[in-house]
Amino acid sequence: MKKILKFRVVLVTLVMGLSCCTKVINVDLNDAAPNIVVDAAVTDSVGPYTVNLTQTVNFSDNNVFPAINGASVILSDNAGNSNILTEAVAGSGNYITSNLQGVDGRTYYLSITYNGKNYTATSTMPYGVPLDSVVADTGSTHHGGGGFGGGGYGGGGTTASGVTVRAVFTDPKGIVNYYRLIEYVNRVPNYNSITIISDLGQDGTQITENVARRDTSIHAGDTITVVLQGIDANVYEYYRTLKQVTKTQTGINVTVPGNPTTNLSNNALGFFSAYSVRTMQTIAP
Amino acid sequence: MRYIKYCFFLCLFIIDLKTHAQNKYTISGYVKDVKSGEQLIGATLVIKEIPATGANANAYGFYSITLPEGKYTLSAQFTGYQAKAEVIELNKSIKLDFALSDAETQLNEVVVTDEKKDQNITQTQMGMDKLDIQQIKNIPVFFGEKDVLKTLQLLPGVKSAGDGSSGFYVRGGNASQNLILLDEATVYNASHLLGFFSVFNSDAIKDVTLYKGTQPADFGGRLSSVLDIKMKDGNDQKFHVSGGLGIIASRLAIEGPIKKGRGSFLIAARRTYADFLLRTFTNNPMLKHVDLYFYDINLKANYRLNDKNRVYLSGYFGKDDLGFGNYGLNYGNATATARLNHLFSDKMFSNTSLIFTNYDYKVTTSFGANSLDIISRIQDYGLKQDFQYFLNAKNKIKFGLSSIYHKLIPGSITASSNSPLSKRGVPNKYAWENAIYISHDVRLNDKFSFEYGARLSSFSLFGPGTFYTYNALDSITDSAKYTPSQIVKTYFNLQPRAAFNYILNAKSSIKGNYARNAQYMHLLQNTTSGNPTDLWIPSSNNVKPELCDQVSIGYFRNFLNNMFETSIETYYKQMQNQIDYINGAQLTLNANVESQLLYGIGRAYGVELFIKKKYGRFNGWVGYTLSRTERKINGINNDTWYPATQDITHYVSAVGIFEINKKWTASAVFIYYTGNAVTFPSAKYYIKSTGQVVFDYTERNGYRMPAYNRLDIGFTYQAKKTEKFESSWNFSCYNAYGRENPYSITFQVNPNNPQQTQAVLTYLFRWVPSVTYNFKF
Repeated sequence: MKKILKFRVVLVTLVMGLSCCTKVINVDLNDAAPNIVVDAAVTDSVGPYTVNLTQTVNFSDNNVFPAINGASVILSDNAGNSNILTEAVAGSGNYITSNLQGVDGRTYYLSITYNGKNYTATSTMPYGVPLDSVVADTGSTHHGGGGFGGGGYGGGGTTASGVTVRAVFTDPKGIVNYYRLIEYVNRVPNYNSITIISDLGQDGTQITENVARRDTSIHAGDTITVVLQGIDANVYEYYRTLKQVTKTQTGINVTVPGNPTTNLSNNALGFFSAYSVRTMQTIAP
Repeated sequence: MRYIKYCFFLCLFIIDLKTHAQNKYTISGYVKDVKSGEQLIGATLVIKEIPATGANANAYGFYSITLPEGKYTLSAQFTGYQAKAEVIELNKSIKLDFALSDAETQLNEVVVTDEKKDQNITQTQMGMDKLDIQQIKNIPVFFGEKDVLKTLQLLPGVKSAGDGSSGFYVRGGNASQNLILLDEATVYNASHLLGFFSVFNSDAIKDVTLYKGTQPADFGGRLSSVLDIKMKDGNDQKFHVSGGLGIIASRLAIEGPIKKGRGSFLIAARRTYADFLLRTFTNNPMLKHVDLYFYDINLKANYRLNDKNRVYLSGYFGKDDLGFGNYGLNYGNATATARLNHLFSDKMFSNTSLIFTNYDYKVTTSFGANSLDIISRIQDYGLKQDFQYFLNAKNKIKFGLSSIYHKLIPGSITASSNSPLSKRGVPNKYAWENAIYISHDVRLNDKFSFEYGARLSSFSLFGPGTFYTYNALDSITDSAKYTPSQIVKTYFNLQPRAAFNYILNAKSSIKGNYARNAQYMHLLQNTTSGNPTDLWIPSSNNVKPELCDQVSIGYFRNFLNNMFETSIETYYKQMQNQIDYINGAQLTLNANVESQLLYGIGRAYGVELFIKKKYGRFNGWVGYTLSRTERKINGINNDTWYPATQDITHYVSAVGIFEINKKWTASAVFIYYTGNAVTFPSAKYYIKSTGQVVFDYTERNGYRMPAYNRLDIGFTYQAKKTEKFESSWNFSCYNAYGRENPYSITFQVNPNNPQQTQAVLTYLFRWVPSVTYNFKF
């Protein structure tokens, strides 16, 4: 209920005409020992797959995140396949597989050993769900599940501008499914928001979801690629809590601040996702 | 069945006391204000010949004392009133009413009083604060609106939840652990305009009592405290109109007799008009469409049917309407209480109450032609039956029962289009909360008095619906379907309570108490200031009742002929089944909200110092609290103890009122407290696959907000004061030295250097001057 909190400030500033404001202050935050950050994925498209290892930095430092080198990284599946990953470019922190092929339905195990500590994670790759269609138009928008609580002030007008991109797909009945949608404009990913969907309450139905809403940075003729990831429950929970947590970073605290719920062990940050990939393209009108 | 055993011993004890009785008669009656007929709650009755005995008038002004045959001088006393004494030849049971006049009307006379002003020493109850409504009218307040909740936060052991919040913390409990009652009806949200004001219109309020230690056995349902607010009955002698005009709100109250001396009524209403002013004076088209107001109405009527029966009806209705752009929020409470006082005999007083309370809110969001409404509601239907048996001058017994049916609508969604959101409604919940209680108040001798009792409570959650069971990792392990009125889960709790007072000498006493409290309704609130949309949930198969055991002990001493009251109280609390939230908890519109909760234990302890100058041209008080409140929750901070959000180590408050002359009164309030516990990030990192810099929160509540301090000053000018017309002007400045007190601290990318992150403090206001004109005729 971020709106309410904002309202409390609005109420004071605009209405009561009082001297409510914000100011930048110096908060003395503790220096934390660097922690490992894992960003790992295996998919059912062609490899190699990457495990990216970096470190946290102190809050007061610049956004330069040192790579972790010299870690031992093993990726294996429940069909007996296993790869030891090596750094593609020495010092990059990107560890890649050699010949492992992701297959949907299989369970994948990630094991990282660094500085004498072992970090593990398990993720099961759901079966891929194809996209029925991808529609980009400049008309009115459809209210996606993520619409509530979003939508800034003054967004209620009827003159739509920008391009709205919708993905349509049919959820398989009788199976619990979770999805993530990513939009690429001319092959550049749009990370403005994380779009995740659960089939809870809409199992087996055709689902229509906004990938972008009135995006003014999309121009006529742009190539729009929509990727539908089939993700497992733990990864969905990671994304969901990540969204909540990053929301508190940008506004007044709306929820308990904390780290997202990860599938990694030993207090490592980040996550490991085995996901299926289906894509579809369209051209912006 | 420990409880039955308990009652059995209690009965034995009473019988034992009774055998000594012979040739005894009862004096009973009411104590009231001579001018208004308002009953004086808690007035003290003292028998000069036997100082150890005596009584207090109950919540309806009724008292009863049974004594052996003889000649006595009985005097009735009440703070701010002239004591009145009567000589009685007691050879039969008699009725004797006292009508006291307030000290102010007698100001020109020489006041000689033998009034016993040491009630704080002699009464058994400790950890109790009673606000003097007359005294608080001089205390400077935010926008000139007298506010009992804000004034309570100036007492030791009661802490503010910050600017822009009506919430308060009592002895380490959180804001939802306070039971707020308005004429016995639970007020689920006591805030107007998101917390800038409270819902209590001080024009309509007679008595405000806060129990922060042992709650009397007739109260229950919350862990930390009971705030018992009683509305005025209205003047049963003469019609009066009073009111006030302020910068953002105005008030009007009308009271008068229904039939002189027999019944009266009161109507009090308030409304803010910031939105009118805004629309009139702004050129900003955005602000032309702002909704921003609240109003509330208090109604009360009472009528004495005959000497034995009196009926009361009281009601409250309030609404807040906030709207801004495409977003609207309205919320409010409604309560109604119907009561019957009945005297079974001159020793046996009974009150029967039927109570209704409703709290709801509605959030409206519109997107172009479409709109989405979310409605949430909580309703209670209650019956309360209380008996008070005034056995003799030394023994008083209270017993009774309470039964409340709760209906909760956590969130129902109405969408204008066939949006998938309409599928996200959360099922309703139904529950039944019951309690029986008994307590025995004994004045053993002139030194020692004690009170003990117990409350046995139960809580049942009903179907219909599917109820899930979650494991420690918050995953669903089981589910079961229940039909309507099928019991999902029932809890029982026996809550013993005990208190004693040992009077050391005329100036000092030692008091101690113990209490267990149980709380079955839980508020899920994950922001410190609280929101109208915070969700109440019942205890269930997953959420166990919160329990708290508190022991406290205090030393009370008066100085200079009771001119100064001082006290030192310490307490220790242990709490079970405390509720906290998982990281990134999703609390709104979540049918599986119980999966977002974590459980554990809590402890709180502290020392409260208090010094008050009661009389004279200069009066006021200073309070200081040193305290700690901690939690240990499975799943937070590696299951170790950590400070609760409401943990405030030092809390100082001071109130001073100075009567400059007959016309002018000056007042000041100062408050200082160290910051509450808060979660800040300690590091940051990058997630490539979402393209985000994410903050690393290494521990929950590992940091502190900056200290809060504020000075408010006020002046009251008594423009006119006659029997027929009174008027006064109140000038105040809230936050007189313009301190930028923190409301929140957030972290964001430095706009001047995207590689850097900075902390931003939000404060709500600096100076808030106000003028209010008050009148009465």
